[in-house]
Amino acid sequence: MQKYSVFSLIKNAFSDHQNWEVAWKDPTPKKEYDVIIIGGGGHGLATAYYLAKEHNITNVAIIEKGWIGGGNVGRNTTIIRSNYMHDDNALFSEFGMDLWRKMSQDLNYNVMFSPRGIINLAHSDAQMNAYSRRGNSMRLNGIDAVLLNREEVQKRIPMADFSDNVRFPIFGGLMQPSAGTARHDAVAWGYARQADSMGVDIIQNCEVTGFDVTNGKIVGVRTSRGDIKAKKVGLCVAGSTNILAEMLNMTLPIETHLLQACVSEPVKPLLDHVVTFGAGHFYCSQSDKGEMVMGGDLDGYNSYSQRGNLPTLQHVLTEGIAMFPFLSKLKMLRTWGGIMDMSMDGSPIIDKTHIDGLYLNCGWCYGGFKATPASGWTFAHTIAQDRVHELNAGYSLNRFNTGDLIDEKGLGTKTWIS
Amino acid sequence: MSQDFRLENIGMVNRNKKISFTFNGKKYFGYEGDTIASALIANGVHLVGRSFKYHRPRGFFGVGVDEPYAILQLERNNERDPNIRATEQEIFEGLEVKSVNCWPSVNFDIGAINNFLKMFFPAGFYYKTFMWPPSFWYKIYEPFIRMAAGFGEASIKHDKERYEHKYEYCDLLITGSGPSGLASAYAAAKNGARVILAEDKPRYGGSLLTSDVNIGNQTGVEWSEKIITELKSMSNVIVKNRSQVFGYYDHNMLVMSERISDHLPKTQKYLPKQRLWYIRAKEVLISSGSIERPLVFGNNDTPGVMLSSAAKEYMKVYGVLVGKKPLIFTNNDSGYETAIEFKKNGVNPIILDTRKEPYSDIITEAKNLGIEIKYSYVVVAAKGYKKVKSADIAKISDNKKDLSNIENIECDCICVSGFWTPSIHLASQSGNKSEFNEKIDAFIPKKSKQKENTIGSANGKFTLEETINEAFDKGYEVSNKITENNNKVSIPTVVEKKSSEHDKFWCVPLPKGKSYKRFLDFQNDVAVTDIELALREGFRSIEHVKRYTTLGMATDQGKTSNLNGLQLVSDIENKVVPQVGHTTFRPPYTPVSIGAIVGREVGKHSKPTRKSPMHEWHRKNNAVFVDAGVWLRPRYYKHGNETLFEASKREAKNVRKNVGVCDVTTLGKIDVKGPDAAEFLNRVYTNAWLKLPVGKARYGVMLREDGIVMDDGTTTRISENHYHMTTTTAQAANVLSHLEYYLQLVWPELNVNVVSTTEQWAGAAIAGPNSRELLTKLFPNTDVSNEGLPFMGYKEADLFGIPAKIYRISFSGELAYEVNVESDYGNFMWEKIMEVGKEFQIQPYGTEALSTLRIEMGHVAGSELDGRTIPHDASLEGLVSKKKDFIGKRSLSRSAFTKPDREKIVGVVPLDKTTSIPEGSYIVKDPKAKLPNPKLGHVSASCWSVEYDNPFSLAIIKDGKNMIGQKLFAMSPLKNKTIPVEIVSSHYVDPEGKRVRA
Amino acid sequence: MLYIFCPHCGSRSQNEFAYGGDATVKRPELNKEISDQDWDNFVYLRKSPRGKHLELWHHISGCRQWIKVERDTSTHEIFKTYKADELTE
Repeated sequence: MQKYSVFSLIKNAFSDHQNWEVAWKDPTPKKEYDVIIIGGGGHGLATAYYLAKEHNITNVAIIEKGWIGGGNVGRNTTIIRSNYMHDDNALFSEFGMDLWRKMSQDLNYNVMFSPRGIINLAHSDAQMNAYSRRGNSMRLNGIDAVLLNREEVQKRIPMADFSDNVRFPIFGGLMQPSAGTARHDAVAWGYARQADSMGVDIIQNCEVTGFDVTNGKIVGVRTSRGDIKAKKVGLCVAGSTNILAEMLNMTLPIETHLLQACVSEPVKPLLDHVVTFGAGHFYCSQSDKGEMVMGGDLDGYNSYSQRGNLPTLQHVLTEGIAMFPFLSKLKMLRTWGGIMDMSMDGSPIIDKTHIDGLYLNCGWCYGGFKATPASGWTFAHTIAQDRVHELNAGYSLNRFNTGDLIDEKGLGTKTWIS
Repeated sequence: MSQDFRLENIGMVNRNKKISFTFNGKKYFGYEGDTIASALIANGVHLVGRSFKYHRPRGFFGVGVDEPYAILQLERNNERDPNIRATEQEIFEGLEVKSVNCWPSVNFDIGAINNFLKMFFPAGFYYKTFMWPPSFWYKIYEPFIRMAAGFGEASIKHDKERYEHKYEYCDLLITGSGPSGLASAYAAAKNGARVILAEDKPRYGGSLLTSDVNIGNQTGVEWSEKIITELKSMSNVIVKNRSQVFGYYDHNMLVMSERISDHLPKTQKYLPKQRLWYIRAKEVLISSGSIERPLVFGNNDTPGVMLSSAAKEYMKVYGVLVGKKPLIFTNNDSGYETAIEFKKNGVNPIILDTRKEPYSDIITEAKNLGIEIKYSYVVVAAKGYKKVKSADIAKISDNKKDLSNIENIECDCICVSGFWTPSIHLASQSGNKSEFNEKIDAFIPKKSKQKENTIGSANGKFTLEETINEAFDKGYEVSNKITENNNKVSIPTVVEKKSSEHDKFWCVPLPKGKSYKRFLDFQNDVAVTDIELALREGFRSIEHVKRYTTLGMATDQGKTSNLNGLQLVSDIENKVVPQVGHTTFRPPYTPVSIGAIVGREVGKHSKPTRKSPMHEWHRKNNAVFVDAGVWLRPRYYKHGNETLFEASKREAKNVRKNVGVCDVTTLGKIDVKGPDAAEFLNRVYTNAWLKLPVGKARYGVMLREDGIVMDDGTTTRISENHYHMTTTTAQAANVLSHLEYYLQLVWPELNVNVVSTTEQWAGAAIAGPNSRELLTKLFPNTDVSNEGLPFMGYKEADLFGIPAKIYRISFSGELAYEVNVESDYGNFMWEKIMEVGKEFQIQPYGTEALSTLRIEMGHVAGSELDGRTIPHDASLEGLVSKKKDFIGKRSLSRSAFTKPDREKIVGVVPLDKTTSIPEGSYIVKDPKAKLPNPKLGHVSASCWSVEYDNPFSLAIIKDGKNMIGQKLFAMSPLKNKTIPVEIVSSHYVDPEGKRVRA
Repeated sequence: MLYIFCPHCGSRSQNEFAYGGDATVKRPELNKEISDQDWDNFVYLRKSPRGKHLELWHHISGCRQWIKVERDTSTHEIFKTYKADELTE
């Protein structure tokens, strides 16, 4: 594989960039693989990469219905963080933070991981206390967290509304300085390029139409490009999990919902951090291009459509102006929607299933992007070793039977209330 | 200053009204009706900006929403509007605009060094470098890239402008007032339909403003004026200019932004800047027209290269010449129309036609006018850096692969026409899949998904006759469906010049040895070589190409670049365009002010504010308020220079010692009525309700089906079939929905009704040892003795002539009563309580003192019942009936909920009895343990116990019951605190509950 | 923006409604033996099909009635709405 560097860039410039190799190949599916990963999104690509890298399993295919990176890994707001209260979420995400910090060098692909810090604004003492609870838990788990008072917040984001004409004044905030953003497409492409170079087949435009299960064991998948045998199959299709589960006669504690995001026209840099509004669900960061990247609530009803409606955006942007009044003068340039696996306690599932050799990675709600490396790493471990790693032990399917739920928000099963 | 490029006898701007404005600090003038673009062009200014990546000079490319270049910053009323399109913004007196993305000036821009280094910056170069050393990305490279990117500068001042929303319903919404929009609106309106006709530009008429046609013996302009005038006079028609329908949402909801004051010098009070229209239309006709496609050749981004239709519009609408030595480069007849217009205005154009031997009326006319035409000719490259000075042109072979006879000719502008792209965005947003039409090399809408039809050139109809006929028919047909009227208007005859077929050729090959940049996306500097590189590297899906190269991702959203990008990909991949496919269009069609989307819900109005009837009293008596959801509640009443801590301590102490009164109006109140009300409550709450006598209250806990506590509160049996339920302030709305769910869907057989009475009652909690004495004076005719009104008793009474309800319930743990009167009497009640209570040393107390009182009593509230606790965790298991079934009961037997070391609420006291434990601290065994340090549980609430005068906290910790008496540590790393503590009972004060029963 | 026909009030904007999820979930009868698995399935499992979905909406800013709506989750098209006690097809 060609190594990417400033030197290779200069060298290729003098041959008019004619000699760059393909980032990944376009193979035809083989008859059989040791492992098939369904879903060429971030998690699927990362899983294949770690199967090859950590477990030396390279007879692997990624089967993607459309084009790789076309799902939620390419439709998110690029935020990376581990500011969770519950131990299961916190330790898992913090493990991921380490992978993020090394990712560009590990993949030889600039994923632009940018630890610009995330600030959750608080608008009451009660909220400051709730954030203290979360922040202290983070610190006791070895994760960086700082409690900011109003003045400290103002120093960092003077453009937030510190005036008197405000409905919910800013009391302070919880900051995770090491959190940040990364370039979403680059994550998918970087994993794809490395996985491909280690022998993984990336098969695009290949839709799964069914599964072959014999005596309670998976033996292969049926696809639009023919039947493919496999010893093990991993599902990494957040957003479409319920569709594939139906083919397997499984019902999962997951509802499928639509989440919108939008960007403004680009302006010169003025916002360095990722900031979330405490009196609602709005959050915002500024991309390297200068666009304000904004998101908030689910549209609030089951949907497989990537078309959102305006009331949700209006509601989200209302909170946006309440937090950052300057947004009023900017223009909304582009909106898009992604389809979420909303699990019944807001936390994901990475587990074995009742079918031998079939593994499940789903239920990411709106937290999938940041989990990409840790999800791929633990899922690869779960598939390779046929047992869960301690990092994803809490993400079991049967927690909905035992009651060991991981409910960060305390909202229970009403998943559409974000 | 004279306007060298202004024509005398043509155009629609108001020559009687001169307007001065400044651009980059220099004063210019134009006329009323000019855009910034037309006024600057009139003054000979073409260099207005710099491109995003290479900082190449940018001029004007279009004349409307499709403009990729001319993005400026506007200063207005001391406010700043970033990213204004110069082709859309009309000038007004005193307007100030400046160039963006350039330093120190647009003329001399340091960033243009990128242009010389561009060989090192191909598509996606940033993915391949900036990786070492690892820390440099965030610290060095990225800040540099961020500074170079972006366009305008956002002002961080509050936006003082006003934006409004309007909701409208209509039979038919028509988007665009070109020939198809006008004709269909007219036909439908005459047939009785309620029509809204929306035009994005200030002037109605669309292509009729610039084309040389005749409709019903009138010129296009005359006809459109006549139709518009008549439409405006009709009561069933709303006609709106400067109004862009930008979004087509579900169930035929369309959203339009109307620019009301953007073109005015000073906003008038109460006149909004913009108005957002939510329009629910029974039917929609999309008549949004089409946008001319660029031809691609070397340096085709040089200022002075522009769309031929734009050049024509600048002449015909604004009376402005884009150049005096124009070169027209076309693959179809549209370029000829522009050339003819130049000629008519005394300028001699040269036409380069890529076609070999085209024949049509228009071409003949051009010939007859003596215009020089070169067939099978192309522009190879534009020459000139900040403005076109000349062009290398060449003869192109029949197979369009080889160039010959390359020569340089002088010109000052190059007007390009690569045929037309229908604007199918709204149809695509509606859910309509588009199909590729070979005849026009573009996509047109397929089958309607919602109640919409696309007409005119947006539907690929490029002759006026076809357009007019189709539009009249559709207008009638659609209106007839709705109104069932049959008033058909006659269709006027149309005279237009016939066009010949366009050439599919659109991208000029490079001459040997030349490496001119040929741009597709002008704002983001995406050139042919970038697309080629993306495909070479395996980014083959159009979505990959788009994301890797940023094609079509600029503020113009690819209006002029998408289709050429697709053509190129299909050429290289040897596919046809439909195989490559295209990306789906999402709203907005064109960028929309976030202020307009939000409307009036800004500042204090971003969320509603709920106030109790006693709010004014609290305010006058120095209450400091706290947000409780959307309610405002007194947190404490400030005496002199008291701090929150001092005041709440004083108030809480006074409750324990004398008597206090607290406004509890915000508590949720629900009337539960009906013969099955007792049975219903028995199912909703965890404890037993069937035997509660009339006139008695009971505390209850309700669960979600997953076993988690949902809410708690007291419910009182007012009469046989009438209960008064109270909920927490936060859960009031959820509890009502919850009850309605079970009554309407799960147990419809129960004869019960529920209704919210939260706003019907004002509530005052009177608590403290003196409260009974106070009540005796407030209600002299009512027996409020311990026998007459025992703990959890209820009575109706007369409060100085006002009917009142007295509930003997207590949250503070003291002898206490809650008095309710109808809301309107709330203030009267409060004042009476204060007046009569004076002799008993009454003081009002706020939520902070209320918290203190409940915490030291071990009463749970929202910070314990946080959506994760089961009754056991909050020591409420005594209220869980073992005998009867209720909502959520079955979940309580889950293994995690029944394990022996399950969390339980406890009290926590610092060993030194002085250090307050911050809320949100964790209880640990070993504060020095290696991280992650195992946590026993968290501190949910803290107070200064007024009873014992030391800090006291509640915590929910693992195996809490068996932890009592243990010495542990409370840790708050955030506050750098480690406090040795002792675990005690959560019932710190009066554990036997004697006081409430006293 | 959805336009929902409330069988009690007529067509109204989605802004007046709150969503209520899968309408086919049936609460087990009170006081009846039920296996752990069946109970947990009731609490946590939902139908979430792509295509036709029978779901609950609560007309909270209108008549406060819960209604059933048959809607396509891939196009958002609404086929039919029912009162709470109406039998669905």
